[in-house]
Amino acid sequence: MGHIVVEGCTKRFDEVLAVNDVTLAIPAGEFFSMLGPSGCGKTTTLRMIAGFETPDEGRILLQGRDVTAVQPQRRNVNMVFQSYGLFPHMTVGENIAFGLKIRKLDRAEIDQRVAEVIRTVRLTGLDDRRPAQLSGGQQQRVALARALVNRPAALLLDEPLGALDLQLRKEMQLELKQLQARTGTTFVYVTHDQEEAMTMSDRIAVMRGGVVEQLATPRELYARPASAFVAGFIGVSNLITVRVDRREGGLLAMELADGERLLAVDAGGAGEEVQITVRPEWIKLADEIVGERESRVTGTVTDIVYLGSVTQLLVLLRTGERLTVHRLNDQVDHVDPRPGEQVVLRWAAEHSYVIGTPAAIGDTNTSPAAAAG
Amino acid sequence: MATVGEAVDLGRMRQARRRPRRGVFGILFAPVTLLLVLFLAPMLIMVQMSLVRFPPNVDSGWTLEHYGGVLTNELNRTIALNTAFIATTAMIAMLLVAIPLAYFMVFKAGKLELLILLALVLADELAPVVKIYAWQVILGRQGVINFLVPGEPIEWLIFSRFAVILTLTTTYVTYTTIPIYAAMKAIDPAVFESSRDLGAGWWQQTKKVLLPLAAPGIFIAMILVYIPMLTDFVTSDILGGAGGGTYMMGQRVRDLILQDVDWGSGAALNFLLLSVSVVLALASYRLAKLNRIEP
Repeated sequence: MGHIVVEGCTKRFDEVLAVNDVTLAIPAGEFFSMLGPSGCGKTTTLRMIAGFETPDEGRILLQGRDVTAVQPQRRNVNMVFQSYGLFPHMTVGENIAFGLKIRKLDRAEIDQRVAEVIRTVRLTGLDDRRPAQLSGGQQQRVALARALVNRPAALLLDEPLGALDLQLRKEMQLELKQLQARTGTTFVYVTHDQEEAMTMSDRIAVMRGGVVEQLATPRELYARPASAFVAGFIGVSNLITVRVDRREGGLLAMELADGERLLAVDAGGAGEEVQITVRPEWIKLADEIVGERESRVTGTVTDIVYLGSVTQLLVLLRTGERLTVHRLNDQVDHVDPRPGEQVVLRWAAEHSYVIGTPAAIGDTNTSPAAAAG
Repeated sequence: MATVGEAVDLGRMRQARRRPRRGVFGILFAPVTLLLVLFLAPMLIMVQMSLVRFPPNVDSGWTLEHYGGVLTNELNRTIALNTAFIATTAMIAMLLVAIPLAYFMVFKAGKLELLILLALVLADELAPVVKIYAWQVILGRQGVINFLVPGEPIEWLIFSRFAVILTLTTTYVTYTTIPIYAAMKAIDPAVFESSRDLGAGWWQQTKKVLLPLAAPGIFIAMILVYIPMLTDFVTSDILGGAGGGTYMMGQRVRDLILQDVDWGSGAALNFLLLSVSVVLALASYRLAKLNRIEP
């Protein structure tokens, strides 16, 4: 039994299915993220936990108590809104004290808790300012403090960093993670930014079309994506459809011309074809002899993009597929191939991660170029 | 070089600063002239009238006796209290309609919002006298309400304070609603969700978030309707009672001038009313500004 449980929740808006039978169990103290493109149902799920939406079917449990029909003002969770929703007519101190005053705590305790949380979120000295006199990052901290001061059972965050610029967003990501660790509060975080989710989360639920595609740790999501969608959404990935010509020694093999081949670990599934995903950094240029358990394909370099720590090569295979390859720039005299040059690519069979048959994947659009964005 | 460049920049800046002033003068020339001729001039004539002995001639001499007479008159005091009671009650009634209506329009009405706005404007476009007679049809002894309610006709519906207050309320409700609507339009709806999330029920949301944020609009609305009610005489003429309980300042000024031909007292009373209005307007302006700094 989790600290927060979403149990078979479904929500429709005018016949549009926003959330479709979602079940989640979030243990106490976890940094949990819901990640997905806009319209995937992540915000609706968060708002159901907060109480701003009531599920059409299913239940919401907070600390073991069924709160499905409980109004948001009576739930022991607090939310940080995307637009913050700070009170423009109140000072920072008054904004933060709002929830405590509503709960009619005595003056001394309110003052003490407000002062404490102001230190925690590093807003010292700004108590008497108005929200309009603060920078975006400071407003964000006020929104955080205003929620945290109530010591909620969980803090719900709806794309809270969306309005900040990149530099500040990166700083705040680390700060949020530290804050979560320091306060031990359960964080439920909604974002469409995979890097943000990866940076902070203990576990991530990747959502699409109102359902959870995969719920796992960041490491698992990256290394073992459950679907082509997850593979494409988390990081850059190459999707290749492999025709199974041969099964031997625990490997699936697709034979190509001139002794070239694609290998993947045989997971035991039947089928004529499988889809594999290969991360760009796992593909090497074959300077040496290719090993027994390695894929080997030849292609033509079409584009080279220097990214600093890595160089990204786009390689057009003879089969018509296009692979993204990352070469780590770990040597000063590193020489990259040029566009038009022929290269031989190799990678271990274990790095061809089989994600299922193409039929089961459906119409997933995951060209490596698009996924790289 | 740098100094030359600076000098040129300064020159440009000076020009740029001067130009909008000329523009402002051009834009304001016509309205300011109109105000001077049509508003300030008659007002000065009225002030002069309130300060000269009867009959008002060039060599009648100056006096304060009209002000003294108007201020010490027992009847005027009763009328002032009547007027204040009627106008204040009507204003409170208007706010009770306008605040929820404006809230509904801004946050709940959706597509209905523009339709309601249009209806409010149209209701205001009707000639006031037509609206007042319409109320007579509704409230009269043989009117719509008494027709629908069985038994003896209800006497206090018409020719009463009730009738005057009700009619004033409906006459000016547009002017109350629009400024409050405009103030609420500027509120980020997220503040209601965030206050709810922090534990506030609907009353606390209203008291601590909605009303303070809408306050500037509410103050403007109050002043916008209170001043015309102080000088309104048509409503009470047609729907007021015979007993004197609805005799209002506007009627008093009119009667002093047109019936008693006491121009001096009429002008003095009118000038006093104007002074009260200006004081009220300034006070509400102060309140509205204060509110932005300290809720």
